[in-house]
Amino acid sequence: MSRKTLGAVVDGTFSGGLTVRLNPGTSTEQLRIGNFVVVEGQRNLYFSLISDIHLKATDPRLLADPPRHTSPFIARTLAGTTTYATVEVNPMLMLVKPDDSLLAERAGVEPVRTIPMHFAKLREATELDFATVFGKEGGANFAMGTPLAMDIPICLKLDRFVERSNGIFGQSGTGKSFLARLILSGVIKTKVAVNLIFDMHDEYSFDKQTEDGHFVKGLRQIFGASKVLIYSLDEKMGRREGRNVDVTLKIGLNQIEEADIVLLSEELNLRQTAEATIGLLRDEFRDKWLLELLEMTADDLNGFCQRSGAHPASMASLQRNLKRLRRQEYVVHKATFDTLDDMVGALDRGKNVILQFGRHNSVLDYVLVSNLVTRRVRHKYEEKTRRFEETREVAEEPRPLMITIEEAHKFLNPAVARQTTFGTIAREMRKYNVTLLVIDQRPSSIDAEVMSQLGTRVSGKLTEERDIDSVLTGVGNRSALRSALASLDTRQQVLIMGHAVPMPIMMRTREYDESFYTAMGSQAAAARDRQMDIRDLFGDG
Amino acid sequence: MRIGEIIETMSTGFVAESFELNRPPALGSLVVAHVPANALPVPTAMELYAVVTYGRTVGLDPSRRAVRRSTDNVFDQEIYQEHPELQRTLRTEFGASLVGFITDGLIRQHLPSQPPPLHFSVQTASVEGVRRFTDRLQYLRLLLPAQATSGHGAGGSQVSLLQVLAANVRQVYEQRGKDRAWLDTAAREIATLLKSDHEALLTVLYAIEPVDSHAPSDAGEAA
Repeated sequence: MSRKTLGAVVDGTFSGGLTVRLNPGTSTEQLRIGNFVVVEGQRNLYFSLISDIHLKATDPRLLADPPRHTSPFIARTLAGTTTYATVEVNPMLMLVKPDDSLLAERAGVEPVRTIPMHFAKLREATELDFATVFGKEGGANFAMGTPLAMDIPICLKLDRFVERSNGIFGQSGTGKSFLARLILSGVIKTKVAVNLIFDMHDEYSFDKQTEDGHFVKGLRQIFGASKVLIYSLDEKMGRREGRNVDVTLKIGLNQIEEADIVLLSEELNLRQTAEATIGLLRDEFRDKWLLELLEMTADDLNGFCQRSGAHPASMASLQRNLKRLRRQEYVVHKATFDTLDDMVGALDRGKNVILQFGRHNSVLDYVLVSNLVTRRVRHKYEEKTRRFEETREVAEEPRPLMITIEEAHKFLNPAVARQTTFGTIAREMRKYNVTLLVIDQRPSSIDAEVMSQLGTRVSGKLTEERDIDSVLTGVGNRSALRSALASLDTRQQVLIMGHAVPMPIMMRTREYDESFYTAMGSQAAAARDRQMDIRDLFGDG
Repeated sequence: MRIGEIIETMSTGFVAESFELNRPPALGSLVVAHVPANALPVPTAMELYAVVTYGRTVGLDPSRRAVRRSTDNVFDQEIYQEHPELQRTLRTEFGASLVGFITDGLIRQHLPSQPPPLHFSVQTASVEGVRRFTDRLQYLRLLLPAQATSGHGAGGSQVSLLQVLAANVRQVYEQRGKDRAWLDTAAREIATLLKSDHEALLTVLYAIEPVDSHAPSDAGEAA
């Protein structure tokens, strides 16, 4: 604990945090907003974050008339004596100080319930402090990155991570997809959950060129076909060399439901009346309404309008707009759910599934297919959970599933979040072992209720006020984190807060390079017990 | 070296008459009065340290001002050769503020319980004594609050205590062999003492700034 002392506590409140006067030798430029620091009280250590830095002078007259042309001697004398700096620190966790004799025996950290007295020392955090708070690598603890100025791992508790829905946010160019790849790799490696990834821009399965020009490996290349299955909407994708697609997915018109259409009303240019018109169609044709509508001739349309009282013009426009669906290459007249059910089976055997969209990467395709597939998956998971509740056999327990969606605001914006499957999952599917990993650059356009359900939030730099507000929904000490978020570098720096970390922390994310691939490839002890491995090998039996 | 005799004494300091006309000890320098055991109602011997706060030369009779002695041909130093009686009719005195004492080998930087006895000798502090006494800087505080009661002794001193303070730091700096580390520490201590009065602080800092401080390649920066 020979780390440098930075200053001494001089003021503070429990609710508002502590004020620390910096020692004369400490420059504000050594510190950063969001830095992890330790306040040493008499009985406890307080693990804290720096939330603000103030410059002060003992005599206000100095501020009105700062000395100009002063010699280094005078400048050096004034610095830290009559002109000085204070920092605001927010204690996040505390730890009863171990006896010096039993240094190794550090008890667990607890939430802060008090504050230290005057002149408690503020010091930089040591490696031991980081290890105490964030745990050691191994098991379900996945090294996400390092502190900004230190080279020791900060771990994400992945078993806790997959217990809830989570979000990855950040302006474009802050490396969201890299972050997602890191976390997904961790989840796949530790087997704490299986993944279903809706890969809109083909970023996750195979190697991909980064912004600085070199290629990085995809998940399929790191983990191999035994762990990662590639589904694709695009038949041509499958024929490319070295990029085997396992299954090409087709969507049947019969599988598309009213809810899918409503979700797409913006993309399909549907009018306000469309929902009512669809209702009339459903009344007459039941599940086959879409097929029937698309087959209708002009006469049929007129006939239907007369029968049902639908408005002819809206009928015609609805039909015109919905015909766009049929023109999509991957849409067929009729399809069974077998492919999707096989997919759920694969997930159940511990395989991870990436659904690539290939050339079909418009919002229309993405929203339609993701929603449809997820609805089926959810249906199956609910069934499985019910079965498990009846039998209570370990083998029947649905394997935790994490569904990754990009452009999440398309599914989770306040207007549709209540209707989409994703909204339901975010709100209540934790019971069924299904969670979401939401990736988005505009968190403010996601429904507040969904945001508040997110367990862990990983955020790159955000500058828009509303986005920052929304990422910090339901998080304590917002003012500290707010300035930390805005001060992140655009690359490789993130703020992680929530369920999977003991306290919010800024970090430099791990390099996604050869050494990372090696670390992921090495067959370390998995977090899940052997029973799960046996189930992987022999299936459900 | 004995340099004077105490002619007025009080708890905060004393006035002494200098043995040499026109040569009081340097402003701000440390002087010592040795008080043997039992000369005062204290059992142990004491070395009382004081900082010279002013020096002045006046006629023996305080009610009579000195008169002009120079002519066209006789001026400055020659006046004293022409008028040897001046050595008897003028006197040089200096005032000093007590800043601490050494007793039983321990340095105490606060006022002693008794003022030094009248007519005792005043000596310059030895280099070793200065070094020992100024290793700690709490004595600087005694120079500041005295500001309110400045001008003790007959005639009083009009020297600003800020200037006395600065003079003391300069003197000690020289006597300690231009110890830059000590100077920086002293400057910081003064900055702390004068934290609520920026102008006063600058007055002192400008006065104690070493001349080489403005040199382009500043060696002190590294210290």
